[in-house]
Amino acid sequence: MSNIKIKSKNLDVFYGDKQALFDVNLDLNEKEVTALIGPSGCGKSTFIRCINRMNDVIDICKVTGNIEMDGMDINDKNLDVVALREKVGMVFQKPNPFPKSIYDNISYGPKIHGKGETKSELDQIVENSLKKSALWEEVKDRLDEPGTSLSGGQQQRLCIARAISVNPEVILMDEPCSALDPIATAKIEELIDELKKTYTIVIVTHSMAQAVRVSQKTGFFHLGKLIEVGKTEKIFKNPDNKMTQDYITGRFG
Amino acid sequence: MSNEHTVKSYEEELQFLKDSLIKMGSLTESQLSDAMDAVIKVDKDSIEKIIKSDEEINKFRSKIDTQIMNLLVKRAPMAIDLRETISSLKISQDLERIGDLSKSNAKKVKPLPLDLPDELLGNLKRLGELVMKQLNDVLDSYVNKNFDKAKEVWEKDEQVDDLTYIAMESVIDFLSKDKKNLDFSTHLIFATKNLERAGDHITNIAETVCYLVKGEYLKGSRPKGKVIQE
Repeated sequence: MSNIKIKSKNLDVFYGDKQALFDVNLDLNEKEVTALIGPSGCGKSTFIRCINRMNDVIDICKVTGNIEMDGMDINDKNLDVVALREKVGMVFQKPNPFPKSIYDNISYGPKIHGKGETKSELDQIVENSLKKSALWEEVKDRLDEPGTSLSGGQQQRLCIARAISVNPEVILMDEPCSALDPIATAKIEELIDELKKTYTIVIVTHSMAQAVRVSQKTGFFHLGKLIEVGKTEKIFKNPDNKMTQDYITGRFG
Repeated sequence: MSNEHTVKSYEEELQFLKDSLIKMGSLTESQLSDAMDAVIKVDKDSIEKIIKSDEEINKFRSKIDTQIMNLLVKRAPMAIDLRETISSLKISQDLERIGDLSKSNAKKVKPLPLDLPDELLGNLKRLGELVMKQLNDVLDSYVNKNFDKAKEVWEKDEQVDDLTYIAMESVIDFLSKDKKNLDFSTHLIFATKNLERAGDHITNIAETVCYLVKGEYLKGSRPKGKVIQE
């Protein structure tokens, strides 16, 4: 039985008057991949944005209930959000490298978090991060070139390298492959498999097949509610809830 | 399933697959019944027709294979659709094997003498009728997605085993009376064994239907009747 890394209890999220999440109770296991699936607007992205307090930047957003990481209350008003985001990295739908060199894209995070004080320490972090994100061999001779000069798939791996450069514990991925071709997608999926040995990963995806390939646990959201959560294999072969079945078989959505 | 797929053609492809399998099932039923009749009545005229109908069944099998491959590639079916697709693949294999066994039985009619005593064929006839009922019931359970009925068929294979034993015994008794009976008695023994094997394929189908309906395999081992040692 894996340890629970993140635990949400009775989590509600409101954007103004509109409630986006209803009483979500979801445990994310350590060093496992949890996939979140569901139709657009069902609350899966809202949920992962609670984990690194990304919703803070939206004025009208209100979060109630409880969400904990290793027993620490993520919603605690006194929590250092910068320190939280050091522990919880994020990768978005569209690759979004900084308009800087490949090297600077990776070294930026460690620098502002006070990691890697010397040039050689930073060099090491950059190399390790790029190796872990399976990009090193492709870019080691052109670290000075802009990150934006890379292909879409490479840019996404650069963003993953950037996320892991500060040595996080959790990586949130919001549809990380939706803008990528099948080969770039396969590379990211292979990378996720490797990364899960070190990190707890949550991935939002619209591809049920991708959820099956990469995750051990799957949660299905619908209209802000977590309808069903369980072992991925069980969800795709024989889900308990009819709504889950209708969604994954393409009967509504 | 009350809700339909958003993609209509997917819905149609799944329905087409189910329809093909049902047609293949009823063809297999008629062939099994015809082969049984041919043995019991020592009707040598129907042999060719039964062999021909096996070709039809084989054609269905490859047609269903193609449909399944297309479905897997085009739709990447999930949950009930995945179970439906995979079950069709397995059931069509079992039906095809039942077809082969019926064909084999039809071929066994050729060397049989026309004046076989009734007591020799009585038990074989009863066995044939039971296997046919089993096939009919299991196909019904597939059509109606009836878990209980499939499980009943699965459990009833014990009776097929018992009747096989009894039918074998009567052939061996007959054989032991006169060595001259050896040649055609051997064919009758094989015909009996073929029916027992068809029964096994029917239990496979029953297991598949149970998995299709509930998404989990039947637990425990199937009740078994008397078995002739091979």
